[in-house]
Amino acid sequence: MIKTVTVIGVTGTMGANVAGIFASFGDADVFCVGRSIEKVKASLPKIVKSVKADGIAKKLIPADMNQLEECVAKSDLVFESCAESFTVKKEIAKRVGTVLKESALSCTGTSGLSITEIASCYPERLRGHFFGVHMFNPPYSLPLCELIATEYSDREKYEELKEYLDKTLLRTVVEVKDSPAFLGNRIGFQFINEAMQYAEVYKDNGGVDYIDAILGSFTGRTMPPLVTSDFVGLDVHKAIVDNVCQNTDDYARGTFVLPDYISGLIKNGKLGRKSGGGLYQMIKYENGLKRSTVYDIHTGLYRDVIPYVFPFAEEMKKYISEGEYANAFEVLIHNHSQEAEICLSFLLKYIIYSLYSAKHLGDTVEAADDVMATGFNWCPPMAMYQALSAVVDMPTLIKERIPQICNDVDVDLLLSCVKPSKYDYRIYFKSGR
Amino acid sequence: MNKVYVLGGAQTDFERNWKKEGKGMVALLKEVMSDGLNEAGLSFDDVSELNRDNRIACFVGNFIAEKYTDQGHLGAFLTEVHPAFYGVPSARYEAACASSSVAIDAAQTKIKAGDYDVAVVVGWELMKTVDAIKGGDFLGRAAYYEKEGKGIELPFPKLFGKLADETLKKYSQLDRDRYLDALAKISVINYQNAKRNPLAQTRRWFMNYEQARNRGTETNPLVGGLLGVSDCSQVTDGAAVVVLCSEAFISERKIAGKPVLKGYGHRVAPMLFDKKIADSKSSAYILPWTRQAVLDAYRRSGLSVDDMDVFETHDCFTSSEYAAVSAFGLTEPGKEYEAIESGMISFTGTKPINPSGGLIGCGHPVGASGARMFLDLYKQVTGTAGGYQVEDVKNGMMLNIGGSATTNYVFVMGAEE
Repeated sequence: MIKTVTVIGVTGTMGANVAGIFASFGDADVFCVGRSIEKVKASLPKIVKSVKADGIAKKLIPADMNQLEECVAKSDLVFESCAESFTVKKEIAKRVGTVLKESALSCTGTSGLSITEIASCYPERLRGHFFGVHMFNPPYSLPLCELIATEYSDREKYEELKEYLDKTLLRTVVEVKDSPAFLGNRIGFQFINEAMQYAEVYKDNGGVDYIDAILGSFTGRTMPPLVTSDFVGLDVHKAIVDNVCQNTDDYARGTFVLPDYISGLIKNGKLGRKSGGGLYQMIKYENGLKRSTVYDIHTGLYRDVIPYVFPFAEEMKKYISEGEYANAFEVLIHNHSQEAEICLSFLLKYIIYSLYSAKHLGDTVEAADDVMATGFNWCPPMAMYQALSAVVDMPTLIKERIPQICNDVDVDLLLSCVKPSKYDYRIYFKSGR
Repeated sequence: MNKVYVLGGAQTDFERNWKKEGKGMVALLKEVMSDGLNEAGLSFDDVSELNRDNRIACFVGNFIAEKYTDQGHLGAFLTEVHPAFYGVPSARYEAACASSSVAIDAAQTKIKAGDYDVAVVVGWELMKTVDAIKGGDFLGRAAYYEKEGKGIELPFPKLFGKLADETLKKYSQLDRDRYLDALAKISVINYQNAKRNPLAQTRRWFMNYEQARNRGTETNPLVGGLLGVSDCSQVTDGAAVVVLCSEAFISERKIAGKPVLKGYGHRVAPMLFDKKIADSKSSAYILPWTRQAVLDAYRRSGLSVDDMDVFETHDCFTSSEYAAVSAFGLTEPGKEYEAIESGMISFTGTKPINPSGGLIGCGHPVGASGARMFLDLYKQVTGTAGGYQVEDVKNGMMLNIGGSATTNYVFVMGAEE
């Protein structure tokens, strides 16, 4: 029974949100640990708000880093959610390891650092109790939880944690390998980073907003990919893709190379929403009027977002708004404008890279669907495959549209693993920007 | 009179916000109709073929699309869903939140009379087209708008808050805390049940006893008298389809294992809440016409409360589910808390209410709720409810109400004897 939990790093967004999940669904007393007790106390209302329940307020116990050992010693589970740095995480792991109860579980919320390496900081007898538990933000509405074991993992402890995450915290638990960015971010950030690269290639067509207009919510997601990266934060994006680039070498590695203009934005402190601007910038005037601007790669300046009208996209949106999905996909496949071809190639590459990644990094092929649906709210790959299959022979289309990838990977083998998706693709294809 | 069989149907995912998806009633109806027919084992070609001999009809339940989506003539609107509906007799039925029950009633009547062999019922409502205050005002038209709705912010929470007040007044032995406790437990049970239902609106939301019991907080503000947000059902976009058919159709298609509609009750109480309460003074029940509709359904089905293995009720507010407990005959009137405290109505209890999560957990697209409950009875009776399947269900009862328990509809469905 997990009755007491310590969350380290509650002043961060993810730490606060995860503390809320433990206190609510987990009904646990939660030691909320941060560097400054004042900041921890100030973050408690945020935690309560994250699960919309005042009832959990009395379960949250503020503490600072000096009290860490005291909190950990009383806890059945410890969740570390500190800065994405080996130095920081290893230091904390050492401290936790000295006082962790013999029966307790410990985990890190890292979004991509090696779990095995952090585990090695624990005393040998406790290494098996340490796991990666990667949740997505905000966890209240995105239930995905990637669970990562290491070579040291104790099978019984692993099952205990998995059961707790699944049954008590009501997470969609996906078991993934300890590899850079794990599974969800590997697939999602491949797509986003390649969109960033395409924005540079097509900078004379408009760049950032041009690519977003091609890959909008009508292509099976809540918001366009580059808008998403502004939400994520360009610095966080960089950390994730750099990690994949440096530590992996699959066929898509080149698509993880961060474009120079993104590095430039980061250097100038343009990190996205959290810094008041990134790829997009909303200008608010004193009279209340707002102007939506976008970074123009060509000029290096912000300009008004262009309201692109692509015939294929307009037609797709019209069909989707009336629930005529098959007609929308027909348009996508049979329109041979540059924009429609870019759009379709992205969706096909997404399907292939998802299947490829699930095969190598996940436990099952369904893992790819679970991570993309419940971690990103994107139409999951197998559901997308199913959706397009209604109007076209997919293997033929893939060979025709993305021949270079067919040289790199055994597409037929990957496609032979496709199963009927448990997700309904119709929910994800929206008739909006 | 002919027997009425239930072939099945489908509902949309009640978590969806169709406005945010950039879709409207056309997409909603296309999706639910193709899913519903498919689940019932019919195709659009079947519809055309049956229609050639005038053997099929459609019954549309919807409360107030004129307000939410600026559209009337909803029976005819099905022709926009698919050309198979060209020429199919179809009309819209309305009784506020019981709209799709009155559509089901019309459908069963036509089958009993032998007019048609297949009846397709679709209930729907898109409510997220407007904000909560405006939507609340639209819903005020389910009461006597001029006297109980107009100019009042969120009239329905206030009416069902009054029901809570009147319940405490009527049963003077009933302790206020015990009552509020029971209401909180009703809320928690519905939220918990919804966690097992993959199409429930609140399946990812958090609710526990602590949260439901502490009303008047920032996250659980009071919305009507003693009732907090945790006592309310949801504002929901959604649709549900159920398909009924005749015995002739069952034998013609060699279909086996489908349940039958065994009985119904339909009673209308005084429109005005105050008149309703004045009228109930002579009865042991706070909602005597609701109770009467249940009794009528038991009589028509030849069954009693002992034969019911599961209930779906209209928990638009916890106070209405509370009143339904005795109306179903699970306890004496005034002692409803017993069934809640003992665990009788919880998912693993002897008489589970709302394994689907009900209106609080599953969501309440008003014109769809009756059809959704009917579909859930079908799932329970046929053992196809998946994660929220109650064990060994032979018969189930549903109660769908419109207004402040003004229109009362009850159906009993069960395995064929």
